[in-house]
Amino acid sequence: MPSVEALPLPTPASENVPHALLPFLRSQSQNTLTRLYQRPSSCLSIFRLLGPLERQLIMNLLWLESAIQVSTMAAWVVPEGRKLYDEALAEMAGLHIIQNYASKLALNPTFKLSMRQAITGGGSTSSFGVPAEKDDKRQPSGLETLDSYALERWETILHYMVSSGQGQLPTKPSQGVLYLLQRSCLMKPVHGSTLQITSSGFQFLLHSPHDQLWSLLLQYLHMAEERQMDLVEVLSFLFMLSTMELGREYSAEPLSETQKAMLEDLRDYGLVWQRKASSKRFSPTRLATTLTSLSPPLPTSNTSSGSRAAPGTSVALTSGAGQQGFIVLETNYRIYAYTDNPLQTAVLNLFITMKYRFPNLVVGMLTRESVRKALGNGISAEQIISYLTTHAHPQMRKNNPLLPVTVQDQIRLWELERNRLKSAEGFLYRDFASQADYEYVLTYAKQLDVVLWENPAKRCFFGTMEGHGNVRGFIERRTGGG
Amino acid sequence: MRAIKGVLLTCDSAVKQILLTMNEKEPFIIEDLDDYHLVIKADEEYRVRRQLEAELEKNTYSLETSGS
Repeated sequence: MPSVEALPLPTPASENVPHALLPFLRSQSQNTLTRLYQRPSSCLSIFRLLGPLERQLIMNLLWLESAIQVSTMAAWVVPEGRKLYDEALAEMAGLHIIQNYASKLALNPTFKLSMRQAITGGGSTSSFGVPAEKDDKRQPSGLETLDSYALERWETILHYMVSSGQGQLPTKPSQGVLYLLQRSCLMKPVHGSTLQITSSGFQFLLHSPHDQLWSLLLQYLHMAEERQMDLVEVLSFLFMLSTMELGREYSAEPLSETQKAMLEDLRDYGLVWQRKASSKRFSPTRLATTLTSLSPPLPTSNTSSGSRAAPGTSVALTSGAGQQGFIVLETNYRIYAYTDNPLQTAVLNLFITMKYRFPNLVVGMLTRESVRKALGNGISAEQIISYLTTHAHPQMRKNNPLLPVTVQDQIRLWELERNRLKSAEGFLYRDFASQADYEYVLTYAKQLDVVLWENPAKRCFFGTMEGHGNVRGFIERRTGGG
Repeated sequence: MRAIKGVLLTCDSAVKQILLTMNEKEPFIIEDLDDYHLVIKADEEYRVRRQLEAELEKNTYSLETSGS
């Protein structure tokens, strides 16, 4: 057995990981991005998605009227920070926020103009949305309505996914959502029509709501490209939503046709609330307004069902992420989860054996079977550990390390146990006429990097399937020529 | 020179011994390379994995089944 101590400790999700949307933006053409940068809200949102160093650099350059020498900026950088600085510049160049920075540094003029507008106000592009006129007959919907709507939509999606593996029939999300889940390979149809969760779907369930939301939206963006929707419209609408104010109503009139069509989709995901489908006004929910911020995208789920019953008493709803922990894990593999939320229970059920259920508490065990079932579903040991870490009860936070080491190691050992056999398809080359012959072919195969195993004494080696065509061709050319 | 199509299995020596025993009943090994490597017939891989799984499962003891 390999030593377990050598394994790195799970690192909590750090802010240094670049946002999932950035690679997608980088893959877009300069033309698309420049059109996107015409909207102040998009610039501000992208600015918020960037890392701290990039943000710093943008702020430094924002108010300069002319380009500055690269050396001037580089003089600020200490030698140790050089690599980070270069990476930040490359990232910004990839997004076309700065332009050819070989000799002079300057922001993309469109970006600069819009970013300035975003900060100082002014301009009339209405890219931050147009608030709807006050309706004297109806009060705008309160935060509770929006939160419970977003939560209900979102949990319907997740709950549908998690229960599909267990043959239950929960409420179905709308067709649009189902299609999106299929497209993102989180679910796939089995026996004709019923959808079943895939292994990437299981992994998805253990991510944070923010990551989940963005991975679905990314898929939506890919779909938008295929549906011939204007990507700039789609992106800028998402960014517009992310800069809107929670609890305020906005007018749907100034939106473009594409964006009006999007309203319907986003309503299904719980990002937007509308009184009626035909309504001329809409309100973003917390899911939407936190898209580009660090605040939790969902009200804390623990208190949700209580507050749905009594919408007046939802103070806990809006409190921060610190409320999320609810799991206590003991050294004897027992798990106490203080939750009454069916979704959280269902997610836990993916990798623990349930023992008892009380109104506000679920007791279970991490067992070999339960963990192996999860591993079989494609969930990795690291994912289980990181889920337990992120949702650990505040009481657990006093422990160092957070989770009992024995349990962590055992989960990893159970994973290793499943991988005692590695296999690779390919060809075994043997019975070479001479040692020179063998070495000649072997050297060639090694250059192609297709050798999996070799033994000079037996004069044979094993090459991968992909390499076979080349290796065979090489041998044939050789025997044919000689 | 010959090239033989197959699947290269990499495993620890304990698993290899089990595989050798299984091979005596229903042969599937093409070549026994060394302590950690075997080449087997490509279409037998699934069956071998299933059978090995069952074999390894016999050797585990779970507290859960005896009640805790």
